[in-house]
Amino acid sequence: MISIDFINTYLLSVVVFSLLLNFALSIYGIFYRPHYIKKIIALTVLSDTANTFAIYIGYRRWASGGNTNPRPPVIPTTEITPGVLSEFVARSVDPLPQALVLTAVVIGLAVTIFLVFLGHQLFNHYKTLDMRRIKKLKE
Amino acid sequence: MQRLVKTLVLVSIILGFSLILTIAPEYFIPGEAVRPLAVFYLSTTFNPWIPHLTVNSPEAVTAIVWDYRGLDTLFETAVFYLALIAGIALARGVSIKAEPGNGVGLTVIVKTVTKITAPMVVSVGASIGLHGHLTPGGGFQGGATIAVIPLIIIVTFSIFFVIGRGVTKEKMLVLRSIGLVGIGLTALAALIVGLALGKTAYVFQNMAKPTSEVSLPAYFNGSLISGTLWFFNLFEMIAVAAGFTIAFLLLTYPEKKEGENT
Amino acid sequence: MIPPETLTYLFMAVAGIGSTISVYYAIFEKDLLKAVVYSAIQSTFYALLYFLLMAPDIVLVYLPVAVGLIPGVLIILISKTEREERENAEIG
Repeated sequence: MISIDFINTYLLSVVVFSLLLNFALSIYGIFYRPHYIKKIIALTVLSDTANTFAIYIGYRRWASGGNTNPRPPVIPTTEITPGVLSEFVARSVDPLPQALVLTAVVIGLAVTIFLVFLGHQLFNHYKTLDMRRIKKLKE
Repeated sequence: MQRLVKTLVLVSIILGFSLILTIAPEYFIPGEAVRPLAVFYLSTTFNPWIPHLTVNSPEAVTAIVWDYRGLDTLFETAVFYLALIAGIALARGVSIKAEPGNGVGLTVIVKTVTKITAPMVVSVGASIGLHGHLTPGGGFQGGATIAVIPLIIIVTFSIFFVIGRGVTKEKMLVLRSIGLVGIGLTALAALIVGLALGKTAYVFQNMAKPTSEVSLPAYFNGSLISGTLWFFNLFEMIAVAAGFTIAFLLLTYPEKKEGENT
Repeated sequence: MIPPETLTYLFMAVAGIGSTISVYYAIFEKDLLKAVVYSAIQSTFYALLYFLLMAPDIVLVYLPVAVGLIPGVLIILISKTEREERENAEIG
């Protein structure tokens, strides 16, 4: 009953489910934790988990019964023959999600730096960063 | 103790639910073949036998970022630039308070170690950035690695030392503008060459296409530079490192407290 | 011995579980400095996961950004504002 195929599927399910739990915990952290810096930390966890989902989709399983491993999308030489090129196409993972995740990481970083500047100005104005007290002070 | 129990509950939830998910595996376990679009990108990224469809770069991800989908990267650079402008606008009116005497910053041990490791980190970052078309790396990776060093220098030697040495916000803005202007000129390079020679050319063009004969050189003195990719990586590295230095300088300015005179 | 495919998936599963435990500690921690350190530990587990999923470009972006720059900026902000997250919102 316990075959190698079952164990492989089980371990990949562990990875997917722990990513889903990270997603859920970070959304809880954005809504229900009152401090501004805790919300920023939860937002970075959320965007990183979404990027990991995208890269996981581009993965490729081991072919020919578990003997040939997948490879990163880089040709390791500059003297190229048709044999090297066809083996590269047959064994490499998908390069498009990685290019999109690169853009997404940069944009997430820019938003986080802007939020930190904003938090600095909030503290100078309200003397606190607890969002419940700011809500009371604003009225 | 209570947190340990909650951690154990969390781990057992993961392990238990994965057992249930194993019963229906076809929907989220990756297959053994990639999509046809990925096959197209992988087979045309370094293919000297079809010279009108290839990029001449053995690194598929950098080719997608700067050649196949170059407009996406242009707008990403614009978003980063706008976030930095918003941060500078929020922090205007901030000025240096006073000049303290000697003996600021951390101890001698930390300063000596920083003096030894800072050139190493900068050279590793430059190597990652400039080899982006041959190995994994590129402009943004190199720029982010180099940008760690101004943060460490501001913390170990104090901010007054850094500004006293001439590394001010205005000079970093000039460096960043040089990087962005370089990116813009490289994007228009093929178009300018085409207009000068009277042939058809496109914006963001790298190699020769079926409808346009203009091509930037792929090899330079026998080594591979892949046309515009090397120049994009260089200017993006300069722009990103200078931009992060501006953000750190603005965040660590000491400012006047209320009720104090200068 | 263990076949190499199962060994790779085993390391991926360990990285996944480690990251979830770090996220749980980071969200429910009162001292903000420790929360930033737990978030950096989660980013290290994610970098290991990216490496095992054969994405070396993303590892080279993610390591300086999420382990060096983001905790650095957050720690500068913590040093200029408050450090603890209190349970009840007192007035004054």
